[in-house]
Amino acid sequence: MITSKRLRSIAINLLYAIVGAMMLLPIYYLIVTTFKTQTEATISPLGLPKHLTFDNYINAFNAMNYPRALLNNVLITGSAVIVLILISSMAAYVIARSKKKIYKWMFSIFMVGLIIPFQIAIIPLYKIISSMHLMNTLPGVILINVFCINLPLSIFLFRGFINTVPIELEEAAAIDGYGTFRTFWSIIFPLLKPIVSTVAILDALAVWNDFLTPLLFLQDPNKAVLLQEVYKNVGPFSTNWTAFFPMLVLATLPLVIFYLIMQKSIIDGVVAGAVKG
Amino acid sequence: MKKKWISLMMCTAIIPSMLVGCGNSASSDTSTNNATTEGSKASDKKVEIRVMAYNAETTRATYLKLLEEKLPNIKVIFEFVALDNFNNVLNSQLQAGQGPDIIEVGGETRLLANAGYLMDLTGEEFPSKYADAGLAPYSVNGKVFATPLQSWYEGIFYNKAIFRDNGIQVPKTFDQFIQIQKDLLAKGTKPQTMGAQSWEPMMKQSIGLVNNDFYSKAENKGFDEKFNTGEVKLADAWLPAVEKWSSLITEGILTKDMLGLSYDQALDEFATGKAAMWESGPWAVNTIMEKNPNMELGMFPIPGSTEGPGWLIGGPGSALAINAKTSHKAEALEILALTATPEAQQALIKDNAGSSFLKGVEIDLGEIYKDSEEAFKAGNVYAPWTAAWISGNPVVEGYGKSLQEVLAGIKTPKQALEEADKVNDTMRESLK
Amino acid sequence: MNAKKRDRVFLFMILPAFIGFVLLFILPTIMSFAYSVTNWSVYKPNYKFIGLDNYVQLFTDTKNIAAIKHSVTYALVITLVQNSLAICFAVLLTRKSIMANMVKSIFFLPAVLSVLVVGFLFQYIMTSADYGLLNSIIRFFGGSPVNWLGNEKIALYSVLSTQVWQWTGWSMVIYIANLKSIDSSLYEAAEIDGASKSQSFRHISLPLLYPAASFNILMSLIGGLKVFDAVFAMTKGGPGYASETIMTTLIREGFNSGRTAYASAFAVVFFVIVFVISKIITFLLNKWEEKIS
Repeated sequence: MITSKRLRSIAINLLYAIVGAMMLLPIYYLIVTTFKTQTEATISPLGLPKHLTFDNYINAFNAMNYPRALLNNVLITGSAVIVLILISSMAAYVIARSKKKIYKWMFSIFMVGLIIPFQIAIIPLYKIISSMHLMNTLPGVILINVFCINLPLSIFLFRGFINTVPIELEEAAAIDGYGTFRTFWSIIFPLLKPIVSTVAILDALAVWNDFLTPLLFLQDPNKAVLLQEVYKNVGPFSTNWTAFFPMLVLATLPLVIFYLIMQKSIIDGVVAGAVKG
Repeated sequence: MKKKWISLMMCTAIIPSMLVGCGNSASSDTSTNNATTEGSKASDKKVEIRVMAYNAETTRATYLKLLEEKLPNIKVIFEFVALDNFNNVLNSQLQAGQGPDIIEVGGETRLLANAGYLMDLTGEEFPSKYADAGLAPYSVNGKVFATPLQSWYEGIFYNKAIFRDNGIQVPKTFDQFIQIQKDLLAKGTKPQTMGAQSWEPMMKQSIGLVNNDFYSKAENKGFDEKFNTGEVKLADAWLPAVEKWSSLITEGILTKDMLGLSYDQALDEFATGKAAMWESGPWAVNTIMEKNPNMELGMFPIPGSTEGPGWLIGGPGSALAINAKTSHKAEALEILALTATPEAQQALIKDNAGSSFLKGVEIDLGEIYKDSEEAFKAGNVYAPWTAAWISGNPVVEGYGKSLQEVLAGIKTPKQALEEADKVNDTMRESLK
Repeated sequence: MNAKKRDRVFLFMILPAFIGFVLLFILPTIMSFAYSVTNWSVYKPNYKFIGLDNYVQLFTDTKNIAAIKHSVTYALVITLVQNSLAICFAVLLTRKSIMANMVKSIFFLPAVLSVLVVGFLFQYIMTSADYGLLNSIIRFFGGSPVNWLGNEKIALYSVLSTQVWQWTGWSMVIYIANLKSIDSSLYEAAEIDGASKSQSFRHISLPLLYPAASFNILMSLIGGLKVFDAVFAMTKGGPGYASETIMTTLIREGFNSGRTAYASAFAVVFFVIVFVISKIITFLLNKWEEKIS
């Protein structure tokens, strides 16, 4: 009995290992290749590198203008996430709590954004952004990321979660003489922590990995983000792939490190939004 | 734990957002000017000129350095956007009344000029320094809207060692071209590789034969003008040449698996000696030599049905035009005037081999292109879609993508040409 | 009095999001829709009203119809594959063990990568060049190589499979959480009634997975219809037009050739398609929900 149980657990763990390894294979391939010469990579694509050289990385680091591109990414992502959390939590709260028709109507309008990709309205958007003097500026990209790409889903998730928060708390707060605004920030918002992390993570991933907006709205090379630097070096001509792979690694490394440190919060966060919403 | 990281994240995110706010408030006047305040105050004010280009910065390095030296009052902001997104980005900007000061233009020049986006350069002194052939693609009704950078051309690169080992000569006719590839194939050597995942190489190579068999004939001189007005169709005129070219597919020389090869991957196969030939242009030479320093490289033109010097595909590669709405007209003109000097032309060619359209600039092409010398001398370099067609790029894209379907076996060459005709009609319709 | 004040605060709280959204999203979208009945093009600044010509043209071009078909197929297949795989792995990984947790983390990892980076990476993994990783592996096991991205019949599905690799872990963690939230007494009761493991999965787990499934299905469906980056990075719509989707066609036919109005008409059609499909799916999902409760 005991042995058969143990056998089963070994089998299951083996299965886990195989499945996990298969999932990891592309990432393993990406990383080992960065340490190889092209001939080495061609002959044994999955073998370990013969020498551990970081030259490819140093070249990629320099070609990508790494520190500045990274800073731009951090600035854009950080600001966009903050703004998104502030405005979408407030908006969702109103939608969830008010019985007025107008807010239901506003909610339907927000939800239109879930199904239309903003790229279809790029030219009018160009006009609006340039009339606001925000062309080629980080705030321009931040605004587009906030309002054109991530706002609808954030509101949707916040609303779903707020619906599960008991309204009695607010009624008690009202009796204590709290105003609506204060009730929201000091009583409701702290309860939203799980969904705040969900939204923060989803939005951070989306903004960080957004490529089209910077491509279209940031032309100044000094303001380029990491993916633009990668794209610049793909070039239709003369790509050297063992030199190119380190760029892919460098472009994603910050997020992967973030994920490895925060993985429990991230996975829990994603879940909180979806299942309760 | 959770509480901690959220507040930590908040803090780290608020700081940057404040920084962004400050950076912006200092400079939000005009988009072309908004980085000046970030520069050091001590230095004299430089005018920033945005140059938007689809050739990467590395292919212009020497030239850009020259600009920096010779024009101390100007700071060039070089914005590279790869070709597959270039029109998308440029068009959006222009249509919104924005755009760079200087634009690297190609096939769309006349369309852009007609729509009033480009500055008329006719009255300036420097355009006259270029040969007419270099200005023609960028002129409308005798007015010049852009001046050419160096020319581009593509021919067939070949590995001389493989040719020697197999006792093969450079082909003089298209039949020989097919024959040597069949011979190589029979000996187990891959005759030609191609990055057919992109629609460009087949399109170019087939037009190479069209150049030989169609454009070289005197009676076809005015064809392109008539094509622009829709009087003539590719499906009639080009069909014999394209069908002949497509025997490369029926003979099994170009194969379906090439549809899964990218440009770089094909270059790699050729450079490492896995294929005897590969069609491309001078920009690839450095990479090939880097990958294989022992490569004995040569380039021959695409041969025609009858023996002759052969033809290359190419023309004025791209040109520089000035945005009609620029607020730095004088400085932009200064850059174009400087470009029209032998020194600048040599600088351009240093990083991106080609020949110059500037009168009096002689370029020594070097050993690699010896087999193409005759073709160059005869002026046998042509690419109708950039040289003469109004909607060149969409038309050849439709044609090239359809050729991929020909290679995949789901279309005939005739259908591919009909597709190109259809795109041409649609585009002409859309401009009415 | 108090209610009035509350309403004023409510308005103040929702306005930042609403004004920004209307200004930067709704307004441009409406403008774009309005252009769809004109003949505006980059190369022709003076445009006029032309009625439904753009729409007629759009539907007479077989390439566009094919692109719409590709997008819809892509969306349906990815929704089906990704969700069934995610449910399988979720069932497999719900047990509490260090190994299961580790594998869970590994599964989720690709979701933090950029689609563009994944696309570039898989272009090398799936290439038909002889160093292509996938084909090397197939050859190692004695199979014959497949032209993953260059065969017009499978190119779209090759792109799709990379996206399944990237997003299955994401869906899976949501299903896992849902499975964990199911009351274990239900299973115990079933076991007493003599139900097998697979029976109790079919009759208890599956119906109660509704919350996770509705979210996941809608997300992958809409994401699938909107697919652009992955195709762009891997095949550019090729070979030929074999993997063109609505978005790649819209960008190519519309923006790259300067035909703004035509692109706008395309956008309207796209909107209608996504709207109709998501309505149908929500309808079906609601039916499911009614059935459970």
